Amino acid sequence: MQQFTYTIQDPMGLHARPAGLLAKAAAACACDVKLTVNGTTVDAKRIMGIMRLAAKQGMEMTIACEGADEEKAAADLQAFVAANL
Amino acid sequence: MGIFGKMFGKPELEIGAPVAGEAVAIQEVSDPTFGEEIMGKGIAIRPTGNQVFAPCDCTVDLAFDTGHAVSLVADFGAEILIHVGLETVSLKGEHFSVKVKNGDKVKKGDLLIEFDREAIAAKGFDTITPVVICNSSDYTTFNTYVGQAVNPGDKVIGLKK
Repeated sequence: MQQFTYTIQDPMGLHARPAGLLAKAAAACACDVKLTVNGTTVDAKRIMGIMRLAAKQGMEMTIACEGADEEKAAADLQAFVAANL
Repeated sequence: MGIFGKMFGKPELEIGAPVAGEAVAIQEVSDPTFGEEIMGKGIAIRPTGNQVFAPCDCTVDLAFDTGHAVSLVADFGAEILIHVGLETVSLKGEHFSVKVKNGDKVKKGDLLIEFDREAIAAKGFDTITPVVICNSSDYTTFNTYVGQAVNPGDKVIGLKK
């Protein structure tokens, strides 16, 4: 498993647009992608799950990738969150 | 599903209009989050009403504390996001009143949100209300019924597995 943590910078938090973009980026990975905020873990490939976290600016999120392409997936998603969240 | 089901295939799963107004294609929404279907396929309503109703029998998945959006899981499995106006998250709840809470089971037509459409529009927000099926890729058929005035509950989306 490959995982990393990131503190959300977007003043609006993980609202619709970033949640949708993150789900698309996660869905592009072959491996499982889990997102954890405040002790709650969801499937990062599902928009509704991400939105349910209601993650706000300043909260720390952990993204865990597990599967064949986990190293590439973690690197891609780390670049994605730094650019978008 | 009886003889008609055998003749015509599976019945269409229906999503009703959550608010009175004009049903339009999702591409009419200027926010690319919706217009480019990042959240999934859907439609939008240009509201003339001030109340958001359940579009089908469903469970409230997330009633945003800001009242500007609600996500629902239909009893038949569709994941529905109703987003009242564009960029309205920044109102931080002002002009919105949420009538349900997470986990509530609601019937089609139950009141979910009240909003002051005129006050929101007066602040410069576009009140167009996207209705998106976040798991639209789970359905083989996605029909929309737009280009018409709708009352709450009128069919705006038809889905088939």
